[in-house]
Amino acid sequence: MTYPLLITAFIISTCGLIYELIAGTIASYLLGDSITQFSIVIGVYLFSMGVGSYLSRFIERNVVGTFIKVEMLVGLVGGCSAAGLFLLFEHVESFRILLYATVSLIGTLIGLEVPLLMRVLKDRLEFKDLVSQIFTFDYVGALIASLLFPLVLVPVLGLMRSSFLFGILNVVVALWTIHLFREELPWLRVLRASAYALIVLLVCGFAFSDKLMALSESSAFPDNIIYSTSTPYQRIVLTGNNRDFKLYLNGNLQFSSKDEYRYHEALIHPALASLKSPSEVLVLGGGDGLAVRELLKYPALKKIVLVDLDKKMTDLFSEPGLLSQLNQGSLRDPKVTVINQDAFVWLRGCKNKFDFIVVDFPDPSNFSLGKLYSDTFYRALKQVLKPEGLLVVQSTSPYYAKNSFWCVVNTLNQVGLQTTPYHAYVPSFGDWGYVLASNEAFKKADSYPPGLRYLSAAAFDQMLYFPDDMRPTVKAVNKLNNQALVHLFESEWSEYVEAH
Amino acid sequence: MSKLISRAAFLRGALALGALGLAGKSIYERQSLLRQIPCRVLGPSRGLGHKLRDGVALLPGESKDSLQKKVLIIGAGIAGLSAAWWLKRNGFSDFVLIELEKHAGGNAASGRNEISAYPWGAHYVPLANEESKYVRLLFEELGIISSYDQQSLPLYNELYLCHEPQEKLFKDGSFQEGLVPKRGLQPKEKDELSRFFALVAELRSKIGKDSRPAFAIPLDQSSQDEEYLQLDRISMAEWLKENRFSTRPLLWYVNYCCRDDYGSSIDNVSAWAALHYFAGRRGKAGNAEMNSVVTWPEGNGFLVESLRKYSEEQIMTATLAARIIADGDRLETLCLKDAGGKELCIKSSALIFSAPRFLAQYLIQDHEKHNNADSKSLVYAPWLVANVSLRQVPSCRSELFAWDNVDYYSDSLGYVMATHQNISTRTGATVLTYYYPMSAEEPMLARRKLLNLDEKLWSEKIIADLERLNPGIRSDILSIDFWPWGHGMIRPSVGYIWGENRRKMKENSGQIFFAHSDMSGISNFEEAQYHGVEAAKAVLAKFGQS
Ligand SMILES: Cc1cc2nc3c(=O)[nH]c(=O)nc-3n(C[C@H](O)[C@H](O)[C@H](O)COP(=O)(O)OP(=O)(O)OC[C@H]3O[C@@H](n4cnc5c(N)ncnc54)[C@H](O)[C@@H]3O)c2cc1C
Repeated sequence: MTYPLLITAFIISTCGLIYELIAGTIASYLLGDSITQFSIVIGVYLFSMGVGSYLSRFIERNVVGTFIKVEMLVGLVGGCSAAGLFLLFEHVESFRILLYATVSLIGTLIGLEVPLLMRVLKDRLEFKDLVSQIFTFDYVGALIASLLFPLVLVPVLGLMRSSFLFGILNVVVALWTIHLFREELPWLRVLRASAYALIVLLVCGFAFSDKLMALSESSAFPDNIIYSTSTPYQRIVLTGNNRDFKLYLNGNLQFSSKDEYRYHEALIHPALASLKSPSEVLVLGGGDGLAVRELLKYPALKKIVLVDLDKKMTDLFSEPGLLSQLNQGSLRDPKVTVINQDAFVWLRGCKNKFDFIVVDFPDPSNFSLGKLYSDTFYRALKQVLKPEGLLVVQSTSPYYAKNSFWCVVNTLNQVGLQTTPYHAYVPSFGDWGYVLASNEAFKKADSYPPGLRYLSAAAFDQMLYFPDDMRPTVKAVNKLNNQALVHLFESEWSEYVEAH
Repeated sequence: MSKLISRAAFLRGALALGALGLAGKSIYERQSLLRQIPCRVLGPSRGLGHKLRDGVALLPGESKDSLQKKVLIIGAGIAGLSAAWWLKRNGFSDFVLIELEKHAGGNAASGRNEISAYPWGAHYVPLANEESKYVRLLFEELGIISSYDQQSLPLYNELYLCHEPQEKLFKDGSFQEGLVPKRGLQPKEKDELSRFFALVAELRSKIGKDSRPAFAIPLDQSSQDEEYLQLDRISMAEWLKENRFSTRPLLWYVNYCCRDDYGSSIDNVSAWAALHYFAGRRGKAGNAEMNSVVTWPEGNGFLVESLRKYSEEQIMTATLAARIIADGDRLETLCLKDAGGKELCIKSSALIFSAPRFLAQYLIQDHEKHNNADSKSLVYAPWLVANVSLRQVPSCRSELFAWDNVDYYSDSLGYVMATHQNISTRTGATVLTYYYPMSAEEPMLARRKLLNLDEKLWSEKIIADLERLNPGIRSDILSIDFWPWGHGMIRPSVGYIWGENRRKMKENSGQIFFAHSDMSGISNFEEAQYHGVEAAKAVLAKFGQS
């Protein structure tokens, strides 16, 4: 019985170290800055082991039974730790608290085990042999773990599987100990049954690790993922079902099929309906073809040029199917030319002039997008706008990011354009802003095309009004060499995200 | 028992750390085993240059191809190209500009691969001062300055102004904006920084008794007041000590700037030169901050290419001037073409020498007789530049990349990102230009090291340096190309700028006019251009044109 127990010491220490390494790796993977994460995880783990050792003195009776229970608990917590941390990352307020709680719990349990094991063995061995043997096995286990982890476990099994595997090992140790002490243990059946149940649970976890991993990615999205792909420029994810679906680019919501009509009607019609005889239109961004769908409600238009960086995106929305049902096949209309190029680069080489230009880029959340909202960019836009033409820019939310919104207005003014800011309520986005710009003063449309669900003369009048809480507190012009908009946008949205 | 446990716990922790190390090492080794990062050592053609030093046996005149031009310009660096620019814009085109390399540019040369264009040396120019007339003129001609606002401040083309974020410093585990250390400073350290910048600001606005700015660009237009000139007789390190500057962040910053601009540490450059860097740049713009710069993916290669276009027909590359024989007003220059394959004799009645100044002693026959400047005493700082191509900007910190990224703890100057000025949405691949001035050792020793460059060793050094700022970057590296600059830039040693020797260096020797940034003692675009234009003016004056 002595040797089996010593082997137990070996397995326990292997498992313990593996959990510690897993937690450290996940922490540095999810939170970055690996040195800090590893140091803290190791520190917390070691300290908790000390706490566990200390607590072991309070266990007076049924030492073996407690040892087995602790062992099973380690198996459960440690085994599920990787999966739990990955899955909960998106959902918990403070991931660090969860992480350190998990590490402390595992540490404390492991810290309990060795002293308990020593007490179990103390009558079977002399003290000096006991200490020497236990620690020998303990350290050998640690060595094995530290070799296995980087060389085999991470590359072959991955973090989630490894943690389940070692959870299973822990429970097997518990089962084995139950077997060794079957004569003297109370509640033998209950112990055995729970151990088997745990094994089943952990084996399932092990088997479905891939699914869990996918789940942890998709848990960032509230609905089912129906389609996802990565392009050189972005990650495209489509969620939902046939009735309502949502498109995310790099995790940011682009539209929900339920209310996108509000967004796109407000983007297109106030400007286009006001133009006398528009014939050529340019769309920058907007590879989903939804803006183009609205444009096609004007039969007089002769030519629509859509410039979107991402070919995969425009292909996706051209192919027959759910998506082209939504844009009513707009991208395949003979009037439409799709160009897959960088808008800024294309613009600088463009010789044509347009009656109406739609600028529908993602929000200025990084420096390369910020360049597409700069005065230099707008100057290039002005070059391709006919003297009596109009342009419209989607310009983030004047409610959540009011200074960012007005920064777009100022930047357009800076290049000598007259601006008409307005905003519309789109439930899945919130209050959303647009800026209309032109060389000459803008005059509202007399009538709108038939069949609109949201926009009307009365609705547009409302959109033009900005209540006090949407007024700017900072005045800035966005330039390539100050990226004022990105800085504003970052601070305004992070405030909002933190507050909620 | 509990003692034992705590020791056990401690050892266990140590083991865990060991495992971490092992994990790192095994991944590292596996990767370097799987993939050798391709490295190339490029750089200026050394063989030809050394031929000059060791003296080439050339037969005089007659038998070879010969060419007759009124003016010969030697060296198509910024100085030579600017001389040509000036001649051309004054309607003078009876000249030839020869360059030993296959491409014009010298220290401002650039390269290009599938990912981007990138600099091999010079990569930016600060906003032009008001007195930097030639710089402004060129900038206007090239549309770098597009117009002037009501306060007559120049408006720069914003595509060329360095985009935000311009500079970042990695210190205490994270990045901060700007290169002046800001975070986690002791009150004393903070005080010294503000005292230093106050002093600099004062110097910047100082006007001498001769109504010239204390520090001007070009530096030859600086005030000649003894009060300022005496600063050239002590080193920057001494000046800092005299002014009781002793805290590390300040010393780091000043030393960084000296190494960045002069390739030399504060012990080796004169206080005047170092202060010129801080107090000389007074350029303003109507649409940019004071410390802005203009830059391009290919660095100053953009300016090289623009200047080259002015004199396309006059430029002859892959042509080395090997010997210059002056006979009264008649000059004969013997050249080696195409790496020594052919010889050519160029006859001219004036010559602009815009190759590095120290070469004059090897090239010009009996040079010492006409010009007793001591070019042997010139000190040149060796540099190593490497261009590192990356599959993608490291993902964890992609948005943290600035144009210029500096590590407080490294001997390198950090790296500049070539794609920073792109207006296209980044697809990820980029080129980093890594700068390493060899300021820690004697220039001679450092040059020898560069000559026998161990690319394995250096690529490991560079990767280790980059890894600190961007963990995991190694696996994204596609290739590393090295460019050793043996005589990278002249060092403004104590006493050089306002000493006798530099004055002599600038003097023409008969019909030979010198034009190279060496004549300033500090190496930058403005000085190189100034000497080029001044030499062209002198030549035009000689021919009765202006
Ligand atoms: C690594 C590095 C980074 C730098 N960064 C900057 C920067 O960011 N901004 C800045 O303003 N300055 C920078 N500089 C300084 C740079 O040296 C100057 O800006 C400028 O390019 C110098 O021009 P030049 O014409 O005086 O000299 P060079 O560039 O040295 O030109 C001399 C030319 O003469 C040619 N030549 C030499 N011998 C012969 C011969 N016998 N026959 C024919 N041709 C010959 C050479 O090949 C060369 O092309 C940097 C320098 C280095 C080394």
